[in-house]
Amino acid sequence: MRMDLTLNGRPAQWEAAPGATLLAVLRDEGLVAAKRGCETGDCGACTVLLDGQPVNSCVVAAARAHGHRVTTLEGLADDPLMRRLQDALVEHAGVQCGYCSPGMLVSLYHLLRACRAEGTRPGDHAIREALSGNLCRCTGYVKPVAAAAAVAAALAGIPATGTEAR
Amino acid sequence: MTHDRQQDAPRTEVGRNVTKIDAFKLARGEPVFTDDIHPPGMLWAKVLGSPHAHARVLEVDATRALALPGVVDVAWHAQVKAIPHTRAGQSHPEPSPWDTVILPPKVRFIGDRVAVVVAETLEVAERALGLIDVRYEVLPALTDMDEALARTDVLIHEDPDPRGIAEGGRTNVAARIDKQVGDVEAALKSCDHVVERTYWLPRVQASHIEPHVAISWLDEDGRLVVKTSTQVPFHLRRILARILELKEADIRVIKPRVGGGFGDKQEMVMEDLVALMTLRTRRPVRLEFTREEELICARVRHPQRIVMTTGVMNDGTIVANRMRVTADTGAYGSHALTVQGNTGQKVLPMYPCAHIHFQVTCLYTNNPISGAFRGYGAPQGCFALECHIDEVAKVLGHDRLELRRKNHIRLGDTDPLSAKLGEGKEGLVRVIRSTGLEKAIELGCEAIGWGQRQEPTAPHLSRGLGMALAMQGSGIAGVDWGAATVKLNEDGSVNLAVGATDIGQGSDTVLAQICAEELGIRYEDVRVLSSDTDLTPFDVGAYASSTTYVSGGAVQKAARAVREQLAAIAAGRWECTTTDVRFGEGQVSGPGGKAWTMAELASHALYQAKVQPMATASHLSNESPPPFAAQFADVEVDRETGEVFLRRFVSAVDCGTPVHPDLVLGQIEGAVAQAIGYGLFEEVIVDAAGRVRNPNFLDYKIASALDMPEMITILVPTEEPSGPFGAKAAGEVPIDGPAPAIVNAICDAVGVRIYRIPATPERVWRQIKEAGE
Amino acid sequence: MWDLKEYRIAGSPGEAVAMMRRGPGKGVYIAGGTDLFLFPPQCDYAVDINHAGLGAIARTPDGDVFVGAAATLHHIATNPFVTGYAGGLLAQAAAHCGNRPVRSTATLGGNLCNALPSADLAPALLALDAVCYIVDEDSQESLPLEDFFEGPRRTVLGDRLLAGIALPAAGAGWRAAARRLTRSAEDIALVQVAVALSVADGRLGAVRIALGSVAPVPMRAMLAEAQLEGEAVADLSPDRLADAGLIAASECDPIDDHRASAAYRRQMVGVLTRRLLAGLLAEQPRNDDQGSAA
Ligand SMILES: Cc1cc2nc3c(=O)[nH]c(=O)nc-3n(C[C@H](O)[C@H](O)[C@H](O)COP(=O)(O)OP(=O)(O)OC[C@H]3O[C@@H](n4cnc5c(N)ncnc54)[C@H](O)[C@@H]3O)c2cc1C
Ligand code: FES
Ligand code: FES
Repeated sequence: MRMDLTLNGRPAQWEAAPGATLLAVLRDEGLVAAKRGCETGDCGACTVLLDGQPVNSCVVAAARAHGHRVTTLEGLADDPLMRRLQDALVEHAGVQCGYCSPGMLVSLYHLLRACRAEGTRPGDHAIREALSGNLCRCTGYVKPVAAAAAVAAALAGIPATGTEAR
Repeated sequence: MTHDRQQDAPRTEVGRNVTKIDAFKLARGEPVFTDDIHPPGMLWAKVLGSPHAHARVLEVDATRALALPGVVDVAWHAQVKAIPHTRAGQSHPEPSPWDTVILPPKVRFIGDRVAVVVAETLEVAERALGLIDVRYEVLPALTDMDEALARTDVLIHEDPDPRGIAEGGRTNVAARIDKQVGDVEAALKSCDHVVERTYWLPRVQASHIEPHVAISWLDEDGRLVVKTSTQVPFHLRRILARILELKEADIRVIKPRVGGGFGDKQEMVMEDLVALMTLRTRRPVRLEFTREEELICARVRHPQRIVMTTGVMNDGTIVANRMRVTADTGAYGSHALTVQGNTGQKVLPMYPCAHIHFQVTCLYTNNPISGAFRGYGAPQGCFALECHIDEVAKVLGHDRLELRRKNHIRLGDTDPLSAKLGEGKEGLVRVIRSTGLEKAIELGCEAIGWGQRQEPTAPHLSRGLGMALAMQGSGIAGVDWGAATVKLNEDGSVNLAVGATDIGQGSDTVLAQICAEELGIRYEDVRVLSSDTDLTPFDVGAYASSTTYVSGGAVQKAARAVREQLAAIAAGRWECTTTDVRFGEGQVSGPGGKAWTMAELASHALYQAKVQPMATASHLSNESPPPFAAQFADVEVDRETGEVFLRRFVSAVDCGTPVHPDLVLGQIEGAVAQAIGYGLFEEVIVDAAGRVRNPNFLDYKIASALDMPEMITILVPTEEPSGPFGAKAAGEVPIDGPAPAIVNAICDAVGVRIYRIPATPERVWRQIKEAGE
Repeated sequence: MWDLKEYRIAGSPGEAVAMMRRGPGKGVYIAGGTDLFLFPPQCDYAVDINHAGLGAIARTPDGDVFVGAAATLHHIATNPFVTGYAGGLLAQAAAHCGNRPVRSTATLGGNLCNALPSADLAPALLALDAVCYIVDEDSQESLPLEDFFEGPRRTVLGDRLLAGIALPAAGAGWRAAARRLTRSAEDIALVQVAVALSVADGRLGAVRIALGSVAPVPMRAMLAEAQLEGEAVADLSPDRLADAGLIAASECDPIDDHRASAAYRRQMVGVLTRRLLAGLLAEQPRNDDQGSAA
């Protein structure tokens, strides 16, 4: 079936099987930051934003994207908040194998963007809640949580521009 | 050797938290993993798994499958030459039995390979599986290890001479070990107390988030290329060459970024299948496991039953220790001997005594295949021993910390068991030349507040503290080796090629730091190429905690050789002796204030002296110095529901010199997370018919961010004389202690011992209930 | 992959039912799809109800809280009408389902129509006397949620559509709390208990004890409820509450599976029911729309 959507801020058309998942289509399109880890919605390696909300693209129908906004990690490459998160994750040695990192970053981005809009600062537990759907078998979550906390502490100074802010 | 790196010079690269070499591209989600880029014309493979736990495959009819549009080929046992081998990725000659063929005529667990299909799309391949008609002769299934031991009328491997099966074709025993130091039986008689307990360890799965995935194709010269998510590219090439009857030079194994391995990728789980289908179809072929296949068909940690018997004197002196292990290797004997060997060898030396007896019976069953998983047998042994020490202390009425302090291994101690138990053969005596264990215990106790139990947070909760000590190794002594090539470029930058496999742990980064330190340049000037069998020298691969210690040794040697070449060039130009040439901070200096930047020297070497400063070095260690850990848990237990709430966890770890402290901390934190699952909720549940009941992450739970306690992780650096810049290993030792520390804490809180992990709410509840009755 | 021939997007509840009946072949409603993609059923087409106007949460003029079937769990967990109703019991149940990204798409309708014994919203909704609204092509029916489930994975729906549920105005001020037992933080519940009750003039009014994962369908422990309704709070000694727990335990019908034994589940119903009752009775009297912590 044919779908018209906004993909990473730009209009896009897809032709996909009616039963295809969003993840399958994204990866076929060469957007491979979202990974396949379980295909049951548990690991979060496939996390992307659908209308600005984090979703596990392996359990979302591609057809859901029709008329909607899909944003992947690639689409946030120039977003100042995402770049800060990426820098922080790297600086805090929160990337080991890195297979979970794109999904984690999308989840953290969603959390921190909302916090910035509300003017709040998420605590450790809120960060862990936001990461609850992103399984990481390498890091034990200590360093990713610390990275997010560091960005959260400086949130007010990060400009809201980029794909998702529009 | 002409000269060492200036010992007095402060280290600038080793010990620095440099930016992990691949971190940014990973954080940007760039296409760096095996499945991120597909070659044109690629076919999709799927494996038809056996529905029976034990059956002969009498007939396979693929007519209907092949008639499905898009199906290109189907292969099963009758079409493929059966060359016995082991899929365990170990050094040649593998200590694991050669009990496997690519496609077996007899299937031995539910999910075992019956046929493989390749098609133009994944959907077609999946559909084709249902169209392959198979006739089986169903055989009795043995899923209980005691039954497998008792019965000889049903043999899981009855082949007349598969190499290396302990009792090939006569029993279901895959491996046996019986090693003794002193005379335990006699010694027990003279002890004031003999404490015997039995412990049960579950089947758990590595659950790297990237599944096993491999893609193969033929290059323009018709050579086989296999790009795969592996820990052992060179072992893989060797095994593939043998079973596909190709020259090693006609196979290229490429390891791109790997999304975690933890031992599960020290195994040829699927590469032979894609290679086979590429050779048959002459087309690229890709196979990836689903999570369900991971939990059924990849490898699991060996389930074990361990009987610990300890003889002690009233003053707390441990006189004799006996460990009897019964283990389930599942359908094939991958790592059967060596994992079980480690259960004793890596664990019992913690408390040296004159009399040690270690026995293993490892059985074939019709269960999923056990194999390598981080810790490699030690987590099982450590659980039994460290719980047992608490039990011994209880019997004696002694303090459990003091009992450990009185008996644990110390600097200069030898470990007699290691001499008896090598990697499937006689080993080498181990002498402890560095240990931070005492310090680790001290710092860990301080951090957890040992002796001061905190108040429970609710009336129905009880609080307790527990601890465990652990030791591991750094590579396999006398077996593990690796090589590295260091090449200096004309601007002073360096290309480092290593066979060592970075699987996410950061070995490329650590090896680049070692290279830079040895050459006196900056880490940022080193580029690493790792694990491409065409381009990099040999390495056994990423396992047995060997990379920093063994491969790091190779890098250090190669860099030193290049430095010596450079010293000779500089000395020639400066008319001094090579010992007058000093390296450091990107500078090379000689007598009388002569100095060159590395770039100037490199340029001089390449354009004036006209030599390529370059060296390849190999490194084998005849030692395997143990890293040590002291780990502590603070738990609350709900006395009515049996729920365990892990509040704080402390690890104090001696890994020698931490080359990259943050990466070491990450190794420890990640290992603790895995071990929390081992202790509290992870278990691949297999029913009596051999079927996995929970083959997905909905139901096989691994720790999420919400399962983690407050974590305190302390590095206790020591200088290991045999390691590069004093380094030992860090990857495995921290996975050993958490489960026993947690269970010891549960016991401290509610007074009951959990002998079988995971300590699920129901198991804890049952123990409390039984104790109350 | 899910072998669907067609994906239909319905613009209204009536259209959804019509699309479902249109054929050819077999169809299935899809909302979040978080359940369907795990175990895709054999069928020819899916009817997407996310654009059928069922996503809203609203307070009706009578003071009921209406939650549309296509409302996402995240929406339910954070909506002020829901967080403010009966101590936020339903909001908390929604917040405990799955993980954050799953809750962005998973819906109330999917959770109930799936009809799993472990569905996390069901005990909370049962405890709150929820009423479900079912639409046909051109008619509508309402019935108590208790009558909605027929067995594991079976409901009264047939090919009709669940439009949503209503939480009656009368229950808005009830005290309520729930507890789910799991092996790890993010897990299918081994046992779920939700309790709601009203207290007036020192006496218990309505008492609702709802259980999940301990019977073929989510259920109410009516005998235990009957033991308590109308009783003076002062008379409810710890022993009486423990008795109520035991009665609830005797009412459930759990099974042994690889996650837990029936015996354990049954015992836990007793323990959790007792604790929840004690906790709720110990709460200070309060205004109707104040939230209470679980
Ligand atoms: C990782 C993960 C974790 C989960 N954890 C939990 C958990 O902790 N607790 C829990 O209860 N569940 C859990 N679930 C299951 C599931 O996500 C939820 O039950 C969810 O609410 C289902 O909603 P959905 O909209 O995604 O359903 P869908 O998949 O869209 O639909 C499920 C079923 O309901 C039918 N259906 C949906 N809406 C309607 C309607 N309005 N009328 C008629 N039929 C309808 C569909 O035809 C289908 O048969 C989890 C799922 C995942 C993937
Ligand atoms: S792949 Fe989507 S959640 Fe794991
Ligand atoms: S870094 Fe490997 S899974 Fe998270």
